[in-house]
Amino acid sequence: MSAPHTNRLFRPETLTALGIIAVSAAFVIPTFGMRAMSALLPAAMLAGLIILAVLLLLSDQRKAAAGEEPKPMTSAPKRVAGAFVLIVAYALATDFLGFYPSTAISVPLVAWIFGYRNPLGLAVATLVVVGAIWLIFGLGMSQEFPAGRFWKD
Amino acid sequence: MYSDLLHALPDVLGFYNFAAVIIGVIAGIVVGAMPGLSATMAISVLVPFTFGLEPLVALGLMAGIYNGAMYGGANPAGLLRIPGTPAAGATPLDGYPTAQKGQGGYALQVAVVSSAFGGIASAFALMLLAPPLSKVTLLFGPSEVFWVAVFGLASIIFLLGGNPVKGLISACFGVFVSVIGADPIFGTDRYTFGRLEIYDGISIVILLVGLYALPPVIDLLEVPLKTETDANKLGTEPIWKTLPRMKGYWKTWIRGSLIGIWIGILPGAGGSMAAFMSYNEARRTSKTPDTWGNGEPEGVAASEVANNADTASALIPALTLGIPGTAVAAVMLGGLLIHGLQPGPMLFRENPDIVFGFMWQFLFGAILLVFLGGSLATNSFARLLNLPRPLLGSVIIVLMLIGVYSIHGRMFDVYLMLGFGAIGYVMDKLKFPLPPVVLGLILGAFAEENLRLALRIGRGDWTILFQNVTSLIIVALTVAVVVGPLIKRRYLSRRQASAPGQEPGSKTGTQD
Repeated sequence: MSAPHTNRLFRPETLTALGIIAVSAAFVIPTFGMRAMSALLPAAMLAGLIILAVLLLLSDQRKAAAGEEPKPMTSAPKRVAGAFVLIVAYALATDFLGFYPSTAISVPLVAWIFGYRNPLGLAVATLVVVGAIWLIFGLGMSQEFPAGRFWKD
Repeated sequence: MYSDLLHALPDVLGFYNFAAVIIGVIAGIVVGAMPGLSATMAISVLVPFTFGLEPLVALGLMAGIYNGAMYGGANPAGLLRIPGTPAAGATPLDGYPTAQKGQGGYALQVAVVSSAFGGIASAFALMLLAPPLSKVTLLFGPSEVFWVAVFGLASIIFLLGGNPVKGLISACFGVFVSVIGADPIFGTDRYTFGRLEIYDGISIVILLVGLYALPPVIDLLEVPLKTETDANKLGTEPIWKTLPRMKGYWKTWIRGSLIGIWIGILPGAGGSMAAFMSYNEARRTSKTPDTWGNGEPEGVAASEVANNADTASALIPALTLGIPGTAVAAVMLGGLLIHGLQPGPMLFRENPDIVFGFMWQFLFGAILLVFLGGSLATNSFARLLNLPRPLLGSVIIVLMLIGVYSIHGRMFDVYLMLGFGAIGYVMDKLKFPLPPVVLGLILGAFAEENLRLALRIGRGDWTILFQNVTSLIIVALTVAVVVGPLIKRRYLSRRQASAPGQEPGSKTGTQD
């Protein structure tokens, strides 16, 4: 169990509210260059987001002042961060190295890292998944997947 | 009014359309049986793959998955005390104790027959109620349609329960995403930052997959849950032998169906609420309430009949007004949109074969549940619980990438989906509701278009929005939807303050 944050600004809802305010305020700027009717809905929504985020911020800070601990967003932050990194890495690998090689590596790698460590099961699952995708999408539906930017040049 | 319904039947019975329902039901049961996966997630992943399919094939798959997943959730709920889907939340209360007595197979068969009963009742409600409602909505002009969109957003935010500020933030975010791209009237560039990929707006499919599929996948990888079960110890008998034992549940089935249908029609309420309400009512009226919670199969019937009875009925406001009753219905609206079917009054006039065919598919999906989820399959579906979660997660990631990439054949969409996925994960963990985002994206563009059309008709006069009785009625309903829950909350907190001994939440009486 990690120690609770002492800084009130590091509470998840407070950070989210501050993020919404910052991003919405930045997005308001382009509306000044739009026609009035084109800007109406985006400006209204962004103004709404800013006001609502301020309300969220105040409500969370009030809870902090009352000594209420924030609920942790995840029970395993390292696993969540690892999952996100692997998913983004898989997308990048697909883009740069190609779909089939990236998939053949990612399926067993993700399963292995997150606890499924049966080599035979992994090999069979990878073969079945990649083979089924090739049969259904590649051969059956003539779907083309990224070949990889590296190999194009 | 109902002649279109009969005209649509032959198409639904075509080979491909019927096969789609069968495949959908099986896939839905498989998805529902796996804790962490839901119908919403399955349909979100499926939607991009349906681009190249005929609309009725695509809708048949969705209807089948929806019906199948609502029952599939009973498998882990009964056998492991883990609801496979949120809608199966009340099923473990009696399903698990029944399984502990060595009657797991019977509990699952009660679940499948009850699910089928609820699904059939719900499909009939959709068939009977949607056509007349669509006739009424055909009379709507731009200002009424604008108010209907506002009403839809307001109802899903305020009737969903939870924190209304978070609901409003979700809706504003969804509407904001809907304005990205070229302005539909003037062609003004809005937030494209020079990227041609989003000049026509952001595809709802990218948003759906990101919001609804990525967070469950992260959850699958986050928690190393052991879900092993011995399917040979279920004590499953052929379903025709067990059917006579269920004849005493008919009152529970009828009551649960009515509750489920009503909850389904209400925007914002969902299958889990229907299941708990039905369970409570059935236990309250039971002659032996003491046996409930200790392995009373009728408890499984009460829960499962109601969570399936809200499936098709959730589409009544979705198809006629464009306002989905549940999160799955919101995702299904996205599925309709990618086939060029704009939910709302004109859908029934312009595409009667498809919309009425969809209703038949719900009915057949519910009937097929008994055959596909019955005696033979019960043990097989129970074995699904032994699938390793990390492997499942990695396969879903691949399917998400394929689905989103194949929409336009570009990686940009995949990166955009991952961005929405990250936002969806944070929203999910901080309890921001996701349905208002989807509805905001669907209704935002729709509301803007009709608002601007109304203002053009009124030559820029904003009072045109309040100049007819129908608009005023919808405005009044919107105000009621916003103010009603606030008054109710204040009333309940006052009552709780005056009775300090009472625990908040003790009123449900379901936490045995």
